[in-house]
Amino acid sequence: MTPSYLLRRLFYGLLLMLGVVVLNFLLIRLAPGDPAVVIAGEMGGADEALLAAIRADYGLDKPVLTQLGIYIGNVLQGDLGQSFFFNQPVATLIGDRIGPTILLVLCAQVISILLGVFLGVIAARKPNGVLSGFVSVFATIGYAVPVFWTGIMLIILFASVFPIFPVEGMQSVRLRDAGFMIRALDVAHHLVLPAFTLALIYLAQYARLSRASMLEVLGSDYIRTARAKGASERSVLFKHALRNASLPILTVAGLQFGNLISGALLVETVFNWPGMGRLAFDSILRRDYPTIMGVLFFASAMVVVANLLTDLSYRLADPRLRGKS
Amino acid sequence: MSALLQIEDLRVTFNTRYGPVTALDSVSLSVNAGETLGVVGESGCGKSITALSVMGLIPSPPGKIAGGAIRLAGEDLTQASEARMRALRGAEMAMIFQEPMTSLNPVFTVGDQIAEAIMLHQKVSADQAFRDAVALLDRVGIPSPDRRARDYPHQLSGGMRQRVMIAMAVSCRPRVLIADEPTTALDVTVQAQIFDLLNEIQRDFGAAIILITHDMGAISEMADRVAVMYAGRVIEQGRADDVLDLPQHPYTRGLISCIPALGKGEDTLREIPGVVPPLHMLGAGCAFADRCAHRAPRCDSEKPLLQAHGHHPVACHAVAEGRI
Amino acid sequence: MTEATEFKAESPAREAWRMFRRNIPAVAGVIMLTGIVLATLWGTFFYGGNPYEIVWAPHEPPGVTPEFPLGTDYLGRDIFAGLVAGGGPTLAVGAAAAAITMVIGVSLGALAGFYGGWVDNLLMRITEFFQVLPTLLFAMVLVTLFSPTLFTIAMAIGVVSWPQTARLTRAEVMKIKELEYVTAARAIGARNRRIIWTVILPNAAPPLIVSATLTIGVAILFEAGLSFLGLGDPNTMSWGLMIGSNRAYILDAWWPVTFPGLAIFLTVFSVSLIGDGLNDAFNPKLRER
Ligand SMILES: Nc1ncnc2c1ncn2[C@@H]1O[C@H](COP(=O)(O)OP(=O)(O)OP(=O)(O)O)[C@@H](O)[C@H]1O
Ligand code: SF4
Ligand SMILES: [Mg+2]
Repeated sequence: MTPSYLLRRLFYGLLLMLGVVVLNFLLIRLAPGDPAVVIAGEMGGADEALLAAIRADYGLDKPVLTQLGIYIGNVLQGDLGQSFFFNQPVATLIGDRIGPTILLVLCAQVISILLGVFLGVIAARKPNGVLSGFVSVFATIGYAVPVFWTGIMLIILFASVFPIFPVEGMQSVRLRDAGFMIRALDVAHHLVLPAFTLALIYLAQYARLSRASMLEVLGSDYIRTARAKGASERSVLFKHALRNASLPILTVAGLQFGNLISGALLVETVFNWPGMGRLAFDSILRRDYPTIMGVLFFASAMVVVANLLTDLSYRLADPRLRGKS
Repeated sequence: MSALLQIEDLRVTFNTRYGPVTALDSVSLSVNAGETLGVVGESGCGKSITALSVMGLIPSPPGKIAGGAIRLAGEDLTQASEARMRALRGAEMAMIFQEPMTSLNPVFTVGDQIAEAIMLHQKVSADQAFRDAVALLDRVGIPSPDRRARDYPHQLSGGMRQRVMIAMAVSCRPRVLIADEPTTALDVTVQAQIFDLLNEIQRDFGAAIILITHDMGAISEMADRVAVMYAGRVIEQGRADDVLDLPQHPYTRGLISCIPALGKGEDTLREIPGVVPPLHMLGAGCAFADRCAHRAPRCDSEKPLLQAHGHHPVACHAVAEGRI
Repeated sequence: MTEATEFKAESPAREAWRMFRRNIPAVAGVIMLTGIVLATLWGTFFYGGNPYEIVWAPHEPPGVTPEFPLGTDYLGRDIFAGLVAGGGPTLAVGAAAAAITMVIGVSLGALAGFYGGWVDNLLMRITEFFQVLPTLLFAMVLVTLFSPTLFTIAMAIGVVSWPQTARLTRAEVMKIKELEYVTAARAIGARNRRIIWTVILPNAAPPLIVSATLTIGVAILFEAGLSFLGLGDPNTMSWGLMIGSNRAYILDAWWPVTFPGLAIFLTVFSVSLIGDGLNDAFNPKLRER
């Protein structure tokens, strides 16, 4: 992996982000009505003074290209605009909420990949076995269940039947002032249901994918070579086969990341998780467009970063790609 | 005295969509330390299945060993536990596969792959195993082995990969080395080098080699004894010189007459008219009957058995009856 | 041998149909989906119940009052009436969104795959750009900006979901483009547009049909998500909306959210059973493994 390749990928990522900024700008312009009113939002108490301030701030009386220039310039300086509902800069609002979202999404991603791949690998050992059948049925079901409904069902289950996990929020009020470890455990406790809800769909898909991928790899000549060396079944499965079978899994993991963030939005809403998705949902109900656009920007940035990381790990996992561009 | 490796009446069946088929039937072979047994026959006649049976690597399901015994120094491998087989594989017996391009794991360096074979059977440190791997690469004639050991398979040519496979196979000095068409995928000059290497290794380590090939030329150069297979059976067997100079079975004769000049035969087997019947269509008689000029009514009803005749055993009614 | 020649004589579509018919889960999917569609049609045109009307006490449990077999919601509205009335919009938006997705995705993918070069480059960069935008969030923004109607919702879902279809189409077209019959069509001087329409796309049809089926499922889930968030068409009942509006009371009554969720699940489940069945029917060789 050459540094120049890395630089090129970074540059391309930045280009994509620039695209998102332009798109945000266009969306506001394309929406029916006066952009200043759109930006102020319905809840902004849009009196003439505020609208005039917005027009001046965004340069709305200037030609469109100049407006775009101003907008991009602002974003480059870290200014994503002002939320007129919260009366706070959008960047600050999101900064406060991006952490919980990243925590939720990463946990769900790790759970679904680890558990899904493990199930898939075990199922691949017996392609016609019970577990294999279970994996395919489970995958079809997982694909068909609306994620918000899974969340609601789990809330009903864990709120009234097995009250062992909190069903709402990220922290217990009574533990606000406890020590760091206690608070971390508290967050983890709150994380269980939302993360598992979000992981469930993808878990099923990873299980199905890794089963198929393992079956293909297990038929290859180098697996026979590994057996001929006297390698144990575990080493054959988890070392020789899985490393190769993980390549398509990595690709899908990268592609799924955007969907995962979409899912997180619903899950955050269901579980009152104080993240970006919850903020997006509230802001959409309030027509707080600067905040919505800010969330779109940051969520896309997360996808870009995830894609970059996927690409790099793909190259690490597959030596045939190293050194190529 | 019994041989180092002795295959007795081996029978292997596969479950297919045509029902169970017999891929190997009454196969008996043996090979001694320091000796090379050549196994020849057309594609699909069961050579690889024989080799894989010895290694305990028949894909199962659908395959299974349905009868017979495989004795390595007296121990019946068909009865051995999977753990015992794992301990033997790579240590006491090793195999070089037909497809050097795909037989190495693409995501590990070749040095690591050889070192793994060493560490599976010997109590050595990872560093020591890697150093041994480099030494083996040197032994099989790979230039700058230090550097090559850190290469991935896709960075090596086909010939080099096959050398790596050989290095891996001999890494624990196995007593039996099975080479399944080790040169089919390689070009002619490299073929000769690989055969030289196998000869040297046999001299060094005193291994028994089973050399599976289509190439009668390779047989005449390498093999002490030869077994000819057809449709899952051994149909002629004997000292290489005898079988090559005085072939008795019509099929063996066909094979040999197809070689313009011994030693550069390639694709020679295509020249016998007709094709091998698929396993699920094998009838009660001789499997070669459809292609045989000496076919008699008896050939369609009764399978010829391997019987000593002249210098060496052969399975043919016409030979037994003295018609040819 | 004779078996193989018989296979040859049969057209691929017939063979696929024969395979599909024998696939029990797929047939079950067809039956389930037909049932759901019929129930919805019946609910839309014949069932008298008004899903908005308060007809009974709130939170009447299911199976207690025969008139309201699935109970009532937090306002005392008939859940069964909601289910049969909400199916129509959900299914219609799902199907329309899938159609839009396919139209955009297949056109762009076919162009990119067929022409290659800078066309391909440009279209693929655009595709990558759209894949960076989190789909649901982007759709939410579109729907709010352009005010939610059934049409804008379907459009929004289509606009955010086409990239995968485009990639699939592109890959298929690139594969088929190299095959002999395309070269043959070129040799007899057929024009590009004609080749795309009459040779390449028909041959790429099987995977695209499978993908279209699965896209319907995704689109239904999408619509459900949007209306769950309250971003659906405010003038129509839908399954997602029923779940969303009863969300605050789930700890008092499980049934108002459970039944619509089951309806969504069963619909998408049957669609994906059909999709999997089609996939198997079009790729009989894959099944043997
Ligand atoms: N997995 C399997 N399922 C069913 N039949 C099999 C399977 N593997 C091998 N066979 C059958 O066993 C027979 C012997 O195959 P084998 O690979 O030993 O042939 P071979 O002599 O090594 O041929 P080649 O020269 O092409 O390598 C073949 O006819 C094949 O049909
Ligand atoms: S047994 Fe009969 S058919 Fe078979 S090889 Fe001998 S003569 Fe030919
Ligand atoms: Mg073979």
